[in-house]
Amino acid sequence: MTAKKSGSRLETEIERCRSEGQWDRIPDLIRQLSVKLIANDDLAELLLGEAKLQQYLKENPIKQGASPRGAKPKLMEVRKHLTAALDRGNLKSEYMQEASLIMAKLNYVEGSYREALSNYFKVGLDDLQLVGIPVYRLSMIAEAYATKGLCLEKVPVASPVSNRHTGREQEIITCYEKSGDIALLYLQEVEKALSSGIQNRSPKPGPISHEQELGFFLETGLQRAHVIYFKNGNLTRGVGRFREILRAVETRTTQNLRMTIARQLAEILLRGMCEQSYWNPLQDPPHQSPLDDPLRQASNIEDYALSRRPKVYAGENIFCPQENTEEALLLLLISESMANRDAVLSRIPEHNNDRIISLQSASIVYDLLTIALGRRGQYEMLSECLERAMKFAFEEFHLWYQFALSLMAAGKSARAVKVLKECIRLKPDDPTIPLLAVKLCIGTLHWLEEGERFAKMVIDMGEKASEFRPKGYLAIGLVYSLKATDASLRGVQEEYQRKALGAFQRAQSLSPMDHLAAFYLALQHAVSRQIPEAVGYVRQALQLQGDDVHSLHLLALLLSAQKHYHDALNIIEMALSEYPEHFILLFTKVKLESVCKGPDEALLTCKHMLQIWKSCYNLTNPSDSGRGSSLLDRAMADRRQINNMTLPDFSDPETASSSSSSISGSEPSLHFFISSHHSPHSKSDPTPKPSSRHFCDHAPGRRASSPCNPPDAYFHGFFSLFSVCSVHATSVAASRVEQALSEVASSLQSSAPKQGPLHPWMTLAQIWLHAAEVYTGIGKPAEATACIQEAANLFPTSHNVLFMRGQVAELRGNTDEAKRWYEEALSISPTHVKTMQRLGLILHRLGRSSLSEKILRDAVQVNPTSHDVWNSLGEVLQTQGHDDAATECFLTALELEASSPILPFTIIPRAL
Amino acid sequence: MLDMDQGVVEEWLSEFKTLPEMAIPSYAAGLKDKAALVSALYRVIQEPQSEFLEPVCHQLFEFYRSGEVSLQRFTLQFLPEFIWSYLCISTSRDLHSTGCIEALLLGIYNLEIVDKDGQSKVLSFTIPSLLKSSVYHEPSTIGSLTLTEGALAKHGLSRVVYSGPHPQREIFTAQNRFEVLTFLLLCYNAALSYMASASLQSLCHLSTGISICGYPRQLLRKYRGVSNRMPVSSEFLVQLITSLYYALYNGEWDMASKALDDVLYRAQLELYPEPLLVGNAIKSSLPGGALKSNKEGTRCIQVEMTPTSSRISRNAVTSLSIRGHRWKRNDSSENSIDIPDSGALSVPEISVTGVLGERVGNGETQRSRGEGEAQGGQDSGADSRADSKGLAEVRKQKSCRRVMEDGVNSPGRVQY
Repeated sequence: MTAKKSGSRLETEIERCRSEGQWDRIPDLIRQLSVKLIANDDLAELLLGEAKLQQYLKENPIKQGASPRGAKPKLMEVRKHLTAALDRGNLKSEYMQEASLIMAKLNYVEGSYREALSNYFKVGLDDLQLVGIPVYRLSMIAEAYATKGLCLEKVPVASPVSNRHTGREQEIITCYEKSGDIALLYLQEVEKALSSGIQNRSPKPGPISHEQELGFFLETGLQRAHVIYFKNGNLTRGVGRFREILRAVETRTTQNLRMTIARQLAEILLRGMCEQSYWNPLQDPPHQSPLDDPLRQASNIEDYALSRRPKVYAGENIFCPQENTEEALLLLLISESMANRDAVLSRIPEHNNDRIISLQSASIVYDLLTIALGRRGQYEMLSECLERAMKFAFEEFHLWYQFALSLMAAGKSARAVKVLKECIRLKPDDPTIPLLAVKLCIGTLHWLEEGERFAKMVIDMGEKASEFRPKGYLAIGLVYSLKATDASLRGVQEEYQRKALGAFQRAQSLSPMDHLAAFYLALQHAVSRQIPEAVGYVRQALQLQGDDVHSLHLLALLLSAQKHYHDALNIIEMALSEYPEHFILLFTKVKLESVCKGPDEALLTCKHMLQIWKSCYNLTNPSDSGRGSSLLDRAMADRRQINNMTLPDFSDPETASSSSSSISGSEPSLHFFISSHHSPHSKSDPTPKPSSRHFCDHAPGRRASSPCNPPDAYFHGFFSLFSVCSVHATSVAASRVEQALSEVASSLQSSAPKQGPLHPWMTLAQIWLHAAEVYTGIGKPAEATACIQEAANLFPTSHNVLFMRGQVAELRGNTDEAKRWYEEALSISPTHVKTMQRLGLILHRLGRSSLSEKILRDAVQVNPTSHDVWNSLGEVLQTQGHDDAATECFLTALELEASSPILPFTIIPRAL
Repeated sequence: MLDMDQGVVEEWLSEFKTLPEMAIPSYAAGLKDKAALVSALYRVIQEPQSEFLEPVCHQLFEFYRSGEVSLQRFTLQFLPEFIWSYLCISTSRDLHSTGCIEALLLGIYNLEIVDKDGQSKVLSFTIPSLLKSSVYHEPSTIGSLTLTEGALAKHGLSRVVYSGPHPQREIFTAQNRFEVLTFLLLCYNAALSYMASASLQSLCHLSTGISICGYPRQLLRKYRGVSNRMPVSSEFLVQLITSLYYALYNGEWDMASKALDDVLYRAQLELYPEPLLVGNAIKSSLPGGALKSNKEGTRCIQVEMTPTSSRISRNAVTSLSIRGHRWKRNDSSENSIDIPDSGALSVPEISVTGVLGERVGNGETQRSRGEGEAQGGQDSGADSRADSKGLAEVRKQKSCRRVMEDGVNSPGRVQY
């Protein structure tokens, strides 16, 4: 404390009241004081004058920009007291100065600006001590500077020479800046005194923690300088001033000011600055900056000296932002924590206004946070921030909607749908919201029932949905189309296919320019094997959007269904020239090449895919490590929770040292090529054969989330591809686990949430399986086994892996082993049609034809368009002697084969 | 193309070639004032058939490659116009060669993705955390930060990559087109403050065009140009919105707000959450009518004096004022896992009584329950079966401390 310890307790008490602004207690204390010491008459006059003036200002606060009051009876009284004290001149010099300062303030209040200025001149404002003075005097000096600035703004300049003018402007700003600095110092000192007071003394019953208010003069001093800077277009100085205020250590009284200023500075950083024009808070501002208005050349602004300055945040390791978004974020987080603290929770009508105020100030902060985090792609963090905003969000559409969108952008689909539901309740007329919900439902969530409900909402809006109406039909068409794929009864399937077709047709008639409508019409026709119609629509789609990858892919598959394999391959090549890194296209290419060009070409493509995979995912991303790598670690740690799915085991004792702890990801450290035997059935125990080694010359990086973020359509189809071999996307266990995994994954994931971190691994496994298939096709079981092992190291219990193992066992003539593998594949994915077909045949060969027939009949139910299954069923029926039924089956098989594409049409992703 | 333009452009093309190395900085500094040249160049870019297009692209690339910052900015100001020109030609399929524009765009991209040493550039930034003290705050003064798992995971600062590393690109393909353009726009946005208003206007034009061409709104807007729909990516729209946000507050209010509406329109049709998120935030934080009158192209970044006292009345229940209350409940739910009814254990009057009463209670417990406290204090987190009395005391103490701290650090609204 700077307070003088001399003098009676009474004097100390008066001093305390003055520094804490408790003016109402002064008269009483003075009365006690006068009783004791008669010589204090003049001091009493001074104190009474001050107290009365302050009391008057408290009762009649000056508003910003209001006109002066003129003489008022109460103010006359003040003047009388002060004149008395000043005229007699018996006071000590510092009290004389105080009296003059109060007199100047009185003059300002009454509108006598020149008088006030001459008071300040006489006192010598700049010579007043700041060190070793009582706390209240700091406030007095701060107010004096502010008042002087105000007076200077009011008094016209004597000679209107521009030079003088800028000089005057500078003088005014300096007054305010000094005032602001001293005010901050004063507030810090008061707080120090208060808190030490609480510690030292037993608390008095009085209002210890009454809220101090700044009052007009200090508020002006703190804010007017930067207001003038911005008015004059001098952004550089304005930002500098903001920073100075914010760097001063917070006091309770400045909390609201800091919250506002932090928000305003963040606004300016986001709205008016860019990375290249930024300078950080500890740097000197640039001399020339595009931020400053060139027309209003600011004079050279010289820094001023003060003998004491407010305490600022300092320290060895404090964080100093290095770019504008960082600083804006820091400021907004500070602002948010305060806005959040002030959230008005009570809902009684009396607090309605308070609630609106707290909501408004918070939602500005959240909007700015969204802008800052959005431009940096940090949706994960944004969704966490907006979640904190939910305490304001009761019946507030904007906050709910933003929260939902942030969840969606962060890949937290399931929650996003739930929040979108609330948004729909609050704004039932907006067709975008249910459409967003459908998009999520038919995506990774695969919530078709919910999706149907949302899509119907859009359709029910009718004309009101205007441009979104065709989208509504598109959405419901997709839902039906997916349901058709999922349905296990032929009748149901056909019903849904019919409905889907109808919806797509409606969408196309409403929006003939939309290539998606034409494309899905084509796809739907293709799925129901109406090849010529499908070709017609896909051509339409391509006319509207010539380089749409899915349309091109569909066209290729359609050509393959017509057995024009070379044309199909040409189309794929063409598509690949526009989409060179599109894996699904490449998978189709492998298939087509094995048919038209032979296995060597196909294997080359596989190798090429591995190279692409490597270049896509192996780009090092050093600083993402913080969350990125721990993500994988956490995924590993969470493995027990998702016990169904075994992930590539990174903690293999042999490789652990090099893989599990490295965070930088700078060097690929994931050696899943070293065979580790966690497959529960490693009887076949493949040692990597030299022939497969040429695939292994790459070492994929461990970064799961791709830094090169491929366009999302690019990957959307992957899940469907992975389970495509079953044609049956929903089918039970396998895809359910994959779905669960992707949800778990996306909740852990930060940077590329859309695909889930396992995505690249699944792509890789798929590439290996394709290679294995090619090898199996040319009768090379050893090589095939090696490839399968690579995939198995990633996903040992994937039904696709198990199926391929079965294929290889068959190739080796090992029927029993093949049967075991197939049975295991089916235990994971009971409706995997290819497996069912192979198992059926094997059972048939083993003489168990009735079981075989049962399985094949099931398979036909699941996928009535697989000619292989029909054919096998025919064979079984034939040996059982059911010749008629067998013939029927063969005919169906023949017919289907004529329209069968090289890969199922359903590998093409269906998404909004 | 006007003859005058032609002359200006020709002069510009030849002047730079003959410039001695020494003179480049002063030449670069004077460039941005040549208004006639800049507008002539815009007209060249807008005319794909112009014979000047190729030499202009070439020279602009030379500018960019020179490494001289103001020359680079000179080139960068035409970026929106080039992007628009490129997209128009590539979607209209009337097979004009866009060769030189493509080469320029890819050239800039390939220069920008590497740093001075030729290493792939990775753009990253630090996510500040309130848990770490900064030039503007100390963690202790922030008060109740909820200690969630997420908060713990992010303890300390995390550095996050927001762009890069990017691979070199030799040609544009449908697959990489928007990846490249998004990155270019990111570079443009990093230099926004240096962009002249013509450039910002061209950017607004680009945003509107790409968003509405081929859609019903194109007719409404009477926007001429290509009638094909242009595919867009979500990230590209977010970058466009970022530029528009700057344009809004730096002299292009009318054009930028229209363009922002158009981008949002497209984002809705595409069902892209990211641009919707950012665009909605910008729209909802737009100031009211006051700014719109400010039309003379001046910057409208202004601040006003604001009252510093809290505008929220003191007796309203706020998050802060019920903090003590919440603490109590958190404590009990943490401590007593198998005692669902925490009310039986907690001390209900804590949150509402004043400091005085609490202090007395506090003193008492310190004297009489020293033992219980020690025991409870050690075990309270882990052992739910700890002596229930001891637990209650600990809880009470915590709450008391809380109330005390509130009394000191905060305006404590409800306690009094």
